[in-house]
Amino acid sequence: MTPASHIALRFTVSRKRSLALSLVGVIFGVAFFILTQAQTQGFERYFIQTIIGTSGAVVISDRFQSRYTSFSEPGERVAEDVMRSRGQGRRKYYEGITNAAEIMRVARQFSNVSACAPVVQGTVAIRSNFTSEVLNVQGIDLDAQLAATALRSQIIAGRIEDYRSSRAGIMLGSLLADKLQVGVGDTVQMSGPDPKPRTFTVAAIFRSGNNIIDERRGYIDLRAAQALLKKPGLVSSIIVKLRDPDRAPEIAAHFERLFGHRARSWQEREKGNLQIFSTLRLSAGITVSLIILLAGFLIFNTLTMAVMEKIREIAILRSMGYRRVDISLIFLGQGFLVATIGSVLGAGAGALFTYLVSLIPIKVTGFFYTDRFLVAWSWQHYLTAAVIAFVAVLGASFLPARRAANLAPVATLRGSGQ
Amino acid sequence: MTHAKRANVPMDSTVSSLACHGLEKFLGEDESRVHVLRGVSLAVNPGEVHAVVGPSGCGKSSLLYILGLLDRPDAGTLWIGQEEIATLSDDLLSARRNEALGFIFQFHFLLQDFTALENVVIPMRRLGGWTDDEMRERAAGLLDAVGLGDKADRSSRALSGGEQQRVAIARALANDPAVILADEPTGNLDTANSDRVFALLKDLVHRERKALLLVTHNPAIAQACDWVHTMRDGLIVDSAWQG
Repeated sequence: MTPASHIALRFTVSRKRSLALSLVGVIFGVAFFILTQAQTQGFERYFIQTIIGTSGAVVISDRFQSRYTSFSEPGERVAEDVMRSRGQGRRKYYEGITNAAEIMRVARQFSNVSACAPVVQGTVAIRSNFTSEVLNVQGIDLDAQLAATALRSQIIAGRIEDYRSSRAGIMLGSLLADKLQVGVGDTVQMSGPDPKPRTFTVAAIFRSGNNIIDERRGYIDLRAAQALLKKPGLVSSIIVKLRDPDRAPEIAAHFERLFGHRARSWQEREKGNLQIFSTLRLSAGITVSLIILLAGFLIFNTLTMAVMEKIREIAILRSMGYRRVDISLIFLGQGFLVATIGSVLGAGAGALFTYLVSLIPIKVTGFFYTDRFLVAWSWQHYLTAAVIAFVAVLGASFLPARRAANLAPVATLRGSGQ
Repeated sequence: MTHAKRANVPMDSTVSSLACHGLEKFLGEDESRVHVLRGVSLAVNPGEVHAVVGPSGCGKSSLLYILGLLDRPDAGTLWIGQEEIATLSDDLLSARRNEALGFIFQFHFLLQDFTALENVVIPMRRLGGWTDDEMRERAAGLLDAVGLGDKADRSSRALSGGEQQRVAIARALANDPAVILADEPTGNLDTANSDRVFALLKDLVHRERKALLLVTHNPAIAQACDWVHTMRDGLIVDSAWQG
C-alpha cells in the first residue's frame, strides 16, 4: 500500500457517514444500470433469436440485373471484383430464384453457413368450417427448414412427424389457427392463383412469438406450394443459417456480389425494430447514469468539504515531505475507494436484482412471445457500469484533489500560528 | 553560561547542517508588498540549538518556512549539508524535507484520524525502505523516548496538549533528520509541559548531534539555547553565542 493510499483509506473510514451517502448512490446507480441493461438487452436478444430462428440470419431472394450470369466460386476474387465494380447504382429485380439448388450448394461451402432452406411463398385464401382468412403460405423442404430455422421448437400442438407423414399437411400459426378455430387433425381449404380449392390437414400448430407471423403464416410442402401458387420450379427465397449471425451483413453483401441475387441480413431486415431496442437501452442507460452522476456530485461536495477540513493535515503532510501528487492521490484515493466499493457492491446488487426480475411472470406477445421477464447476463453491462462509476466519481474527485495539492502549506501554517 | 556576539554570517556550509546566505523574501503584491527578509544569513551546525527571537512580523516565521523548504526565497542561497537546494524542483524539495528536516509546530498538528504511533509512522511511509513492522518498532521507540510508550495506540484526539506536542517531536525525529525546525514548540503548553518539551528537545539535539532551530517568544527558552538570533525588520540584527 502506498503512503497516499494508506492515508486515503484512513480518511475515508473517518468520514464514513458523509461518504456513505455517495457510496449508496454509486451502489444503486451501478445496480440499476446493470438491471436496465440486462432487461432491455434480454428482450432484444430474444427478439433477435426469434427473428433469426424464424426467418434466418440471411435471406437470399430476387435476382437483380447483372451482366454476369454465371456464378463465381468462392476464391474467384477477380470475378467478384468485376461484379462489385459494376454492381453500383440502381438495379432491376426479377422475382424469385430459379437456380436455388445451385445457390445453396455454393452457399454451403462458406464456413460460416451452417444450413440453407428454400422457401416459396405467396398469398392465398384459407377457409375453415368457421371462417376465411388470408394466408401467407410458405412452401418448405421440411428437413432443410428444420435445419435452418427454429421451427421444431416453435411447435406447440401436433408433431413434426405427423406433418412429414401426411400427404397434404399444413402447419399453421397459432393465432391464425385460433381465428380459423381449427386444431390438429382438422382440414382447411386453400385457393390461390389456381382457383381450384385444395384441402390440407392441420398437422401441427406453431408459435414463433411474432404476432405478424403467427396470425398469417402457414407451412406446406415446397412442391405443393409451387403448384398452389403456380410457380413451378421457382423458389421465392433461401433462408441461410449462420454459425455467427453477427457477421450476417458482410455475408449478405458477399452473397449479393457472388450470386447476383438480393441478400438481406437480419440486421437490415429488422433495422427499425433494432433501433427501437438500441434507443431504449441508451435511454435507460442515460437515465440510470444520472444516479451515478448524482453520487459523483455528492462525492465532489464531500471531498471539497474534506479538503477544507483537512487543510492543516495537508499542510503538515507537505511539511513532512509529502509531494503535491501524494496529496492529490490521497483525495483521489478516497474517490477510488468509493468507486471500487460502490462498483463491487453495485455489481452484486445488480446481479441479484437481475435474477429476481427474471423470476417475475409477465406475458408478452407481439414482437415475440414470452411468459417471464427476459434478462441478458453480460459482463459488458458490469464493466460499463463500473467504468461510468469510476469516470463519474474520479471526475468528481479530481477538482478537490487538485485543490488540495495546490494548497500552499505556508499560508495554512502562518494562519494557524497566529 | 558565556555570552558572546558573533558575526551574522554563515559558517562553513560543508560542516553546517543547514545554512543560508543573503535570503530575501517579499510577501504580498503591489502596494501591500512587504520586504520581510532583507538578506538573512546564518548557519546551524550539528549539536547546536538556535533560537530566533524578535517582535511579531519581523520575519521569523518566513525565515523558518524558507529554511524548512516550504517556501522559496526571492534571492539568496540555501544549503542542507553540502547540497545547494534553492533551485531544486518541488518534488525534490519535498524529498529533502522528508529526509533531512523535522518540523514541530506550535499547534502540533497531529493527524486526528490516526493514533500516536501511526502519526509517527507517517513520515516513514513517505521515506520508504522500512517494512511495516520496522516502522512500527521505530515509532514505538521514539514514543518511548518522549515518554509516551504506553500511549502509542491512543488516538491523537485522546492525548493532552503536552502529550500531543511530544508525539509531534517523535514524529519530527521519525526519519532521523539532520535538522529540526520548530515554530513556537512550547507556545501552546503550560510551564511544566513547556520545560519538559524543551528539555527533551535539547537533550535529543546534544545527544544525537542534531541541529535545532526554533522560533520563540519565550525569553527563558531563548536564553537556554546555544545561539540566539535576534531579528528586526527582516534582518538578523544580533547573533549571540550562549553555549
